[in-house]
Amino acid sequence: MRSLILGLGNAILGDDAVGLRVARAVAERWAETDGLSVAEEECGGLALVEQLAGFDRVLLVDAIQTGAAPGTLHHLAVGSVPTQRTATAHGINLRMALEVGRRSGMSLPAESAITILGIEAADVLTFAETLSPDVEDAVPRAVQAAEEWLSQKEDA
Amino acid sequence: MQRISIDPITRLEGHGKIDIFLNEEGEVANAYFQIPELRGFEVFCVGRPAEDMPNLTDRICGVCPEAHHMAASKALDALWHVEVPPAGKKLRELMYSIFFATDHTTHFYALGGPDFIVGPDAPAAERNILGVIEKVGMDVASKVLKMRHDGHYLIQMMAARRVQPNWGLPGGVSRGINEEQRKEIEKLGRDAIEFALFSLQAFRDIVLKNKAYVDLILGDIFNHHTYSMGMVDANNRTNFYDGMIRVVDPDGKEFVKYAPKDYLNVLAEHVEPWTYLKFPYLKKVGWKGLVDGKDSGVYKATPLSRLNAADSLATPKAQEAYEEFFKTLGGKPVHATLATHWARLVELLYAAERWVELATDSEITSPNYRTIPTAVPDEGVGTVEAPRGTLTHHYKTDSRGILTEVNLIVGTTNNYAPIAMSCKKAAEKLIHKGKVTEGLLNMVEMGFRAYDPCFGCATHSLPGQMPMEVRLRGPNGEVLEVLTKNLA
Repeated sequence: MRSLILGLGNAILGDDAVGLRVARAVAERWAETDGLSVAEEECGGLALVEQLAGFDRVLLVDAIQTGAAPGTLHHLAVGSVPTQRTATAHGINLRMALEVGRRSGMSLPAESAITILGIEAADVLTFAETLSPDVEDAVPRAVQAAEEWLSQKEDA
Repeated sequence: MQRISIDPITRLEGHGKIDIFLNEEGEVANAYFQIPELRGFEVFCVGRPAEDMPNLTDRICGVCPEAHHMAASKALDALWHVEVPPAGKKLRELMYSIFFATDHTTHFYALGGPDFIVGPDAPAAERNILGVIEKVGMDVASKVLKMRHDGHYLIQMMAARRVQPNWGLPGGVSRGINEEQRKEIEKLGRDAIEFALFSLQAFRDIVLKNKAYVDLILGDIFNHHTYSMGMVDANNRTNFYDGMIRVVDPDGKEFVKYAPKDYLNVLAEHVEPWTYLKFPYLKKVGWKGLVDGKDSGVYKATPLSRLNAADSLATPKAQEAYEEFFKTLGGKPVHATLATHWARLVELLYAAERWVELATDSEITSPNYRTIPTAVPDEGVGTVEAPRGTLTHHYKTDSRGILTEVNLIVGTTNNYAPIAMSCKKAAEKLIHKGKVTEGLLNMVEMGFRAYDPCFGCATHSLPGQMPMEVRLRGPNGEVLEVLTKNLA
């Protein structure tokens, strides 16, 4: 089984970078794991879906703004509340991009095999290379959540 | 005064909305497109080495990072007073043509296509890229994804990273291509030409043969008689990478042609109290408000305006498509905003042909792709045509090349006034005596979608299956009626 943990975000847009930070931390500990790829992407939509081809299970880690307290973790499915990168990408959302990919014959994970770990952001509109304190504090918890997802996969 | 708000994305903070203000009689007084501000970019940049800019600015926009990368690279050339050798220029234009073809493909099939290929009156659930696939044929999904894949693959091959390149340097680029790579670029470029021709034929068959669609394109609702801007070469042919900026008046007559570095002599910015965004306008004509006509300094910078501003296109098949475009739509210039979608396909063909031209240029594999700068840096302007409008980067540094000032005019900003005008015109047609006619949301959405807007220059972007909410408020602010669309 091929698994992917993909951190999403913009590296210079404050809390929007949190998905990238989590992916980097996971990669440091799990990079050598057989069947696991850990990557970072700054895109969404079709460009994102192109990165999912060939994997059986995917965990997307991304910033989200729902009004909850900054740093709150959200476990989401495709098609539920969109995170920053799954909502848009110049036109089409993740669910539709997956469908376009499938219709073109791409080998994509089933929708039920894609989990989204959303991390509540405080500010995604101010250019900065640092996270706000509450979001920074959430990084270790998000890494732990990613590792739990990984162990579930291994149990499966 | 009543106020109607259209909030495109209500569940995510910080996105744009459209406010429509009604007068006492319930008729439209004004319509404004307001967008969130991405804060602090200049502060973020000042104090950094200018060479960082191609790799920083390609992160401020999730939609056209390659355009920012290229404008930044050209600004660095100017900053260090260095001339890029011919092979370096050709490599940059080659990568840029590949990017343009890829980007226009995405817009047409994912965003513009649903309005026309599926149809403006089709149920909302079908007006999306899947609806386009159903209508054009199942294999179009594979063609679109192949086109995108090829583009990203080649950009990664040439420029080290597939979406945010890591390639441009003052005086050229960091690496060239070998003969094996050249052959692959050429082969995929020929596929891109076929794809562009296929797309134009689909447009002819599905849109141009349908009188209702043609009437909608040519109808009054999205027609704006503004000035048109576009970059041209020495023969007044469109060029995306380099040249002079040409502006033609609403009758199609040349108004001004200037070197990009002189943009501050030609353009000024108007400020409105209701938005942080500034409206660029032609200084010599002056700001007369959000109005059409020769006396108004409002201009467009879009695929349509680029065709209007040029005398011709430099590649043979695209030139044929260019002539067909103007012949069908009644001659130059064309002011029908919705024709921008067709113009985008004409540009797709030009970009694909230019891609092959450059890939078969005898100099393209030359190792002489960079001039090492030796001058002291001070100030530089770099301009390219981004897919969604003329893009300008302007930097000032100290003698060490550390940034002291940064100014960007991004593609969409040029079109802020026309977009607001399109929203207003749609609202005027569909709101009378305080009553909103069904279809307002679609028409407003179609109006600004034609511009392919990319506000905020981040992937927290607007269009697509855009959730919208219209609030019709009474004189005291009470909500009289709420219309929603695409809200899950």
